[in-house]
Amino acid sequence: MGRKTHDRAIIKDLKYEMDKGNLSRREFIRLSTLLGLSAFSACQLAGLPWPGSALAAAPRKGGILRVAASVQKVTHPAQFSWIMPSNQFRQVCEYLTLTDGNNITHPYLLESWEASDDLRTWDLNLREGITFNNGDPFTADDVVFTFNQWLDKDVGSSLLGMLGDYLEPTGIEKINDLKIVLHLKRPELAIPEHLFHYPALVLNHRTFEGDLVRRPHGTGPFLLAEYREGERVMLKRRGDYWQKGPAGEPLPFLGGMEFIDMGTEMAPQIAALQSGDIHMIDLGDASGTDVFQALRNDTGVQIQAAPTAGARVLRMRVDVKPWDDNRVRMALKLCQHREKILALSYFGEGLEGHDFHVYPRHPEYCPKPVPAYDPARARELLKEAGYPDGIRVNLAVGNGWSDVVRFAEILKQDAAPGGFEINIQTMPNAQYWEKWTEVDLGITPWAHRPLGTMVMSLAYTGDAEGKPVAWNETRWIDTEFSGLLSEANGTLEIEARRRLFCRLEDIQMTRGPVGIPYWRNVWMANRKILKNVKPHPNNYMLFNDVWLEG
Amino acid sequence: MARFLIRRLFLLFLTMLLVSVAVFLITESSPGNVARNVLGSFVTPEQEASFLNQTGLDEPVWQRYIHWLAGSDWDAERKTGLSLVRLGTGTDFREWWARTGDGRLVRWKIQGDDLIAIHRNPDGSLEETLDNGRWRGGADRAFFWGIDAGNNAVLWEKGSKGEVWTFVMGTGWIKSTGGPADYLPLKKGFLRGDPGISLMTGRPVQKTLFTRLRNSLVLAGIAFILVMPLALLLGIVAGVREGSFQDRVLSIGGMVFSVIPEFATGIFLILIFAIWLKIVPGAAVFGEAAPWERLDMLILPVLTLTLIELGYVLRITRASMVEVMRSPYIRTAHLKGLPYWRIVVRHAIRNALMAPVTVIMLHVNWLMGGIVIVEVVFGYPGLGKYLLDAALNKDINALEAGAMILVILAVGTQLIADIIYMFLNPRIRYT
Repeated sequence: MGRKTHDRAIIKDLKYEMDKGNLSRREFIRLSTLLGLSAFSACQLAGLPWPGSALAAAPRKGGILRVAASVQKVTHPAQFSWIMPSNQFRQVCEYLTLTDGNNITHPYLLESWEASDDLRTWDLNLREGITFNNGDPFTADDVVFTFNQWLDKDVGSSLLGMLGDYLEPTGIEKINDLKIVLHLKRPELAIPEHLFHYPALVLNHRTFEGDLVRRPHGTGPFLLAEYREGERVMLKRRGDYWQKGPAGEPLPFLGGMEFIDMGTEMAPQIAALQSGDIHMIDLGDASGTDVFQALRNDTGVQIQAAPTAGARVLRMRVDVKPWDDNRVRMALKLCQHREKILALSYFGEGLEGHDFHVYPRHPEYCPKPVPAYDPARARELLKEAGYPDGIRVNLAVGNGWSDVVRFAEILKQDAAPGGFEINIQTMPNAQYWEKWTEVDLGITPWAHRPLGTMVMSLAYTGDAEGKPVAWNETRWIDTEFSGLLSEANGTLEIEARRRLFCRLEDIQMTRGPVGIPYWRNVWMANRKILKNVKPHPNNYMLFNDVWLEG
Repeated sequence: MARFLIRRLFLLFLTMLLVSVAVFLITESSPGNVARNVLGSFVTPEQEASFLNQTGLDEPVWQRYIHWLAGSDWDAERKTGLSLVRLGTGTDFREWWARTGDGRLVRWKIQGDDLIAIHRNPDGSLEETLDNGRWRGGADRAFFWGIDAGNNAVLWEKGSKGEVWTFVMGTGWIKSTGGPADYLPLKKGFLRGDPGISLMTGRPVQKTLFTRLRNSLVLAGIAFILVMPLALLLGIVAGVREGSFQDRVLSIGGMVFSVIPEFATGIFLILIFAIWLKIVPGAAVFGEAAPWERLDMLILPVLTLTLIELGYVLRITRASMVEVMRSPYIRTAHLKGLPYWRIVVRHAIRNALMAPVTVIMLHVNWLMGGIVIVEVVFGYPGLGKYLLDAALNKDINALEAGAMILVILAVGTQLIADIIYMFLNPRIRYT
């Protein structure tokens, strides 16, 4: 491992691909930073100017940011299932890496990382001089402890499924106080992106005993002053935070943050944002269409969109009649009028989808034509499958997502000429989440992930015994698909991956269990007096350098 | 009178008991998976079973009810053989400790196969010692009932199960056979003032419940104080001037507002006053302020409640007043030559108030729990919204506590109404 990163063969190959035109500069930067090249060097190699980090105006220090967000029960951060608690605690604790709004992953609590050529050994170098807010120094012991918490099945973190696939606790080796080496069971490219998954907060191994609210010790810029579930969270600025602003000034600029739980109804939150009683609504777990519609012309509110790989997935359980017959699945997929669904339920804010779970801006995306709306063919397929007079089906949707409900209504109308009589069953979101893996036909919102392979592994594969993995709601396992996917997970060379993905996408389009009509934008909505807010596809509040004007 | 009151109090307690049983049974049979609501949808069956065990939800219904009502510490004392004590430490974290024979406070934790006792010194500091002497049973299956740091009585077992890998900081991964087999969450029970831990928040119910109750009382109280005198007055005026222009205006106005549902009224008010005219805030955002410190945020919710109640009470009062003014004794008083207003105030009103008082007392009930719609529209953190969330999440402790409060209010207001009747109509006597 003695060579400099930018001399390495892989980086040279990537640069060659970029120069040939097979790889966009943006993708080159993404992949090379994943492998450990610093963002600065990557930009240099790509021939791009290093984006200046001077702030547009002089920041004002102080002020309390008021955010409407739900305040949930929190004990162990690795158990987070929702983004909102992570937005509150990411101000107190931090992650090893950071994936910004452009899908580029930077080191954060890590100083740098290096991957071996076979992608099975990863060196993680920690940043020096960081302390927890109770005075303890941040060392490799904390990272080892945190990793073991994620891999502990009694903790039950979703990170166990993500990392446990390639990492065993015995594969974590501490070299010294500032360096750790990971020995993986199989090659994996996306480790830095996994380390920024929202439950992956780094804990203090000396004091953490399972309840973060009781011992809120983290390396982040704010202290937890008050935490009342269902009511509010109060965060206060910390004096000795390690990060500095672009001109070297101490961060954060804000004097504190207050998260107020206003319930699940959007109307009072929108009213409060309009009147200025709150500065921002956390839309991390909401669909945001109400806010967008109500406030897009409001002069006091700034709404910024971020394109994401988040989608409303029309999913069918392939182990239940009638969806076990691929002709019936294809028939329903043909009944999606994608342009209409995107325009009517999401104001055209997004990209049309193809029924495979790879987003057009994922690096390994292989371009395919968008399937057309074809009810005549759908009717033919149904007849072939043994339903000459059409078929009656139930569609389960959570009524808290207004765009999902609209999607269902449009589908119901458009599928009628195709022979489907759809009965929409709405239920509160909580009830939908109870049965999202059990219903035979439903629409599940899936969140954005920066890599095409991540969702594929989470939702469309089986485990070693051939049983569907926990989030495989459709129970669809296709041996050819799984084989190609494992190959793709270990393939770095972008053209080869894209060729694999061409075949993966075809398989999902022709015999897969899901219909994806569009990829949605997400919005960050805040009052204009909050400056320097950058939108993020996961709605993460990366707010170290925002400030409140006046 | 005293016997009457005592009997009514007894009926109050009986009602509370019956309602608590009914709420328990209804929540029990309603759909909804608590583990998934709290832990997220992606839990494995083992985690779900562990969660249900740790919160005591795997016990049979009758046992859960008894524990809710009378507490579980006597049951745990029986199992552990030690007396149990509850301390409050710092800011609202409660801890349960066992008191051993020598008077010291102890808790336990398990590390691998070892039982570690944690002693609490009087000054609050903790001391850990190895305590393997407490294991009971044979070598192949040892067990021990103790208290853990999560305020549960835990049955720890070792020897019988298969080996389990656990990570111990400083030692690494070790094989052990020890582990918790059964949990009994500790609480004092509702009869001793402890409604238990909320499943939604993981903290004691009374923390959130009393704040929400206070907020609802403020909102309902202000609305009540504003509306009732006004509605009675206007109703009396309308009844006395039956058929006149004022009467028509008040009657029709009252009817219109009482018919529009409260969410529609609320939303129209927000639209007109908060968004178009921008003179009052449209949502209740309190932060750490108490409701009475931000009265501007109460204006629209109170106005919404006022408009609904005003019409209703006004029309009942008017109808009652009209009927009384037509009665023979009023005509007699008139013929006797008494001044008009004296007739109205000293004779008519007292008799006319029976019906409105009934309605007003029923409205007090509604004001406490039924204003959930107004609370949701304005984002007001009140009791109704709290119960709605508790019901959607099947949070049994919060639901029961809220139900008990509502029962007390309902029965209490009925009692007050009955007492007021006695003053209004001396012919009514209760034995």
